[in-house]
Amino acid sequence: MRLVRDLGRRKLRSTLTITGIMIGIMALVVFGSMANKIDALVKGGSTYYKDKVTVSAKGGYMGVGGVLSTRMADQIAALDGVDVVVASTSMMLSDDASGVSMGVPPMIQGSVAGSDKGRETFKLDYASGRALTAQDEGSNVVVLGSDLSKQLKAKVGATVTLRDVSFQVVGILEPTLTAPDNEAMVPMAAAQQLFIKTLPTLVADKLSVNEIATGLIVYPKTGVDPQKIADAINAAVAGVTPMTGKDFDKQIGAATSVLNAILIGIGLISLLVGGLSVINTMAMSVAERTREIGIKRAIGASRWRIRREIVVESSVIGLIGGLLGLALGFLITTLGNDAGRDSATILFDLTFGTAFSSVAFATILGATAGFIPAWHASRLDPVAALRYE
Amino acid sequence: MATILEGRNLRKTYRLSRKNTVEALKGVEISIDKGEMVAIMGPSGSGKSTLMHILGLLHAPDPNHGPAPELRLAGENVAALSDNARTKIRARRMGFVFQDFNLVPTLTALENVLLACDYAGIRGKAAKDAAVEALGLVGLADRGGHKPSELSGGEQQRVAIARALVNKPEIILADEPTGNLDSDRSAEVLALFRQFNREHGQTIILVTHDSEVGEACDRVIKMRDGRIRDAGQRAGTPVMATQAVAVPLGAGHSGFDPDAASV
Repeated sequence: MRLVRDLGRRKLRSTLTITGIMIGIMALVVFGSMANKIDALVKGGSTYYKDKVTVSAKGGYMGVGGVLSTRMADQIAALDGVDVVVASTSMMLSDDASGVSMGVPPMIQGSVAGSDKGRETFKLDYASGRALTAQDEGSNVVVLGSDLSKQLKAKVGATVTLRDVSFQVVGILEPTLTAPDNEAMVPMAAAQQLFIKTLPTLVADKLSVNEIATGLIVYPKTGVDPQKIADAINAAVAGVTPMTGKDFDKQIGAATSVLNAILIGIGLISLLVGGLSVINTMAMSVAERTREIGIKRAIGASRWRIRREIVVESSVIGLIGGLLGLALGFLITTLGNDAGRDSATILFDLTFGTAFSSVAFATILGATAGFIPAWHASRLDPVAALRYE
Repeated sequence: MATILEGRNLRKTYRLSRKNTVEALKGVEISIDKGEMVAIMGPSGSGKSTLMHILGLLHAPDPNHGPAPELRLAGENVAALSDNARTKIRARRMGFVFQDFNLVPTLTALENVLLACDYAGIRGKAAKDAAVEALGLVGLADRGGHKPSELSGGEQQRVAIARALVNKPEIILADEPTGNLDSDRSAEVLALFRQFNREHGQTIILVTHDSEVGEACDRVIKMRDGRIRDAGQRAGTPVMATQAVAVPLGAGHSGFDPDAASV
């Protein structure tokens, strides 16, 4: 209570200082959540690509882009060390989903259910409905990722339009925090039909629809190094780019860690400024309270007590600022995610760890900032402090 | 009567700037008996406040010129104790009353008194009871919830006295306790001191300019130029027993402090 009164003594100054911390923590929470989201995306990708080789057409990337042929799948399946090859057909849900959005744009992803022969270890959980089966080939059914289902406002049983074709929703996924959240999973044949329509007529005419694939997912036999398979594919098949989990980590991981460092850096800089303002506030408050400190010292407060009083006060400033910053950050990330829902752009992932460490950091920052003024206050000569006007 | 506080070779030089120093105490010997109510008087700059700060362990006497200083509190030499040890003694064994009342403005009267309990290591119900009792003793039982700004000067000083009393200290030191009060309030405050001294045998040392305060005390110690000029006579004590004074008595004080009471 005493402490609250001390803070209340200089309402404007305390408010400004708390606001400073609040903005810093808000920045840390928002940018931290953004970094979390990117991390989750990358980690999901890293896990997904780890145990396999993904083959794209030259110039394509991770199974998206140029056109391959399902015949290549048979060619690769025959290579030494290859266990299973799954052909897939992927495309962006809409052509105008430009590169503005962070993370992965909404995708249509087609493959024959079960063609991985149980090799895929990236497990998908279903919030409602069912998974696709091989029997779905030939029909227009779709399983929607968690974010995409919210964007399309679709439930199981509803009909959605994907690239001008109607699909019946049979399943909706639980959030994975990575690529599948933004995917529409359809049978291979349906994906091939959609994909050929995206091609120029001249190109399309030369292809047979049921042989189209944009990516081949190659599962090595147990104990076989994916890199060896990638090398073998390079040697045996022309016009393709095989890619291993290591390649993914190298390219994506490096880029995102720089991005994360920048994001966290911005948050930390704003906190540094907040921390300096706590030092300033507490130094002013100590100067104003010189006489009071003299009284307390004279009647028996130890130096340690005086230090504690000031450090506790500045920690509370940090704590309050931290909690308010967290609340504001929570509001911004929630509103941001809600606003992004329509474009399936989920930017933020505010984890408990981020929330807790932000508030803890603010409190420690407050305590640290209070230490210099506290030290100064504890060294005051009680007699001189008593005479201070 | 037992000696509660005894000082020897008390010197203090303040450095005002690199070249300018002031020798505030030039070797003071002083002895205060348990249960005495003593006034220390003298003109400005005579060193009486400095002496008070040393007796109250707010400052330590200079250790490094002349014979080693001694300050015995109930027999124990406290002259060279660490800041922490002196702070602990101030908290538990001494009470302070100042001219400007020096209450913490954000705390209520009761909280100001409780602060002294807290520093002495007394908390909870024991502290609350002691603080309420102390406020009752100074006649402010019903004013505990008021902030200093809501109290008159005389009331504020009585809160300060309650704060000084609350831990039942061995010594109360009061620096010009009536300096900011009109004569009626001064008389009240002085009567309070007198009452605690008589009824509880409370040792009280007052530093004052006010001859009426001096008259109300058992003994007046007169200072000039950083030395004690007249250690005074204890009421009811034979002249022979008074502390020996190094300086010739007589012409000393009266010219400088005409208002001071001659005992």
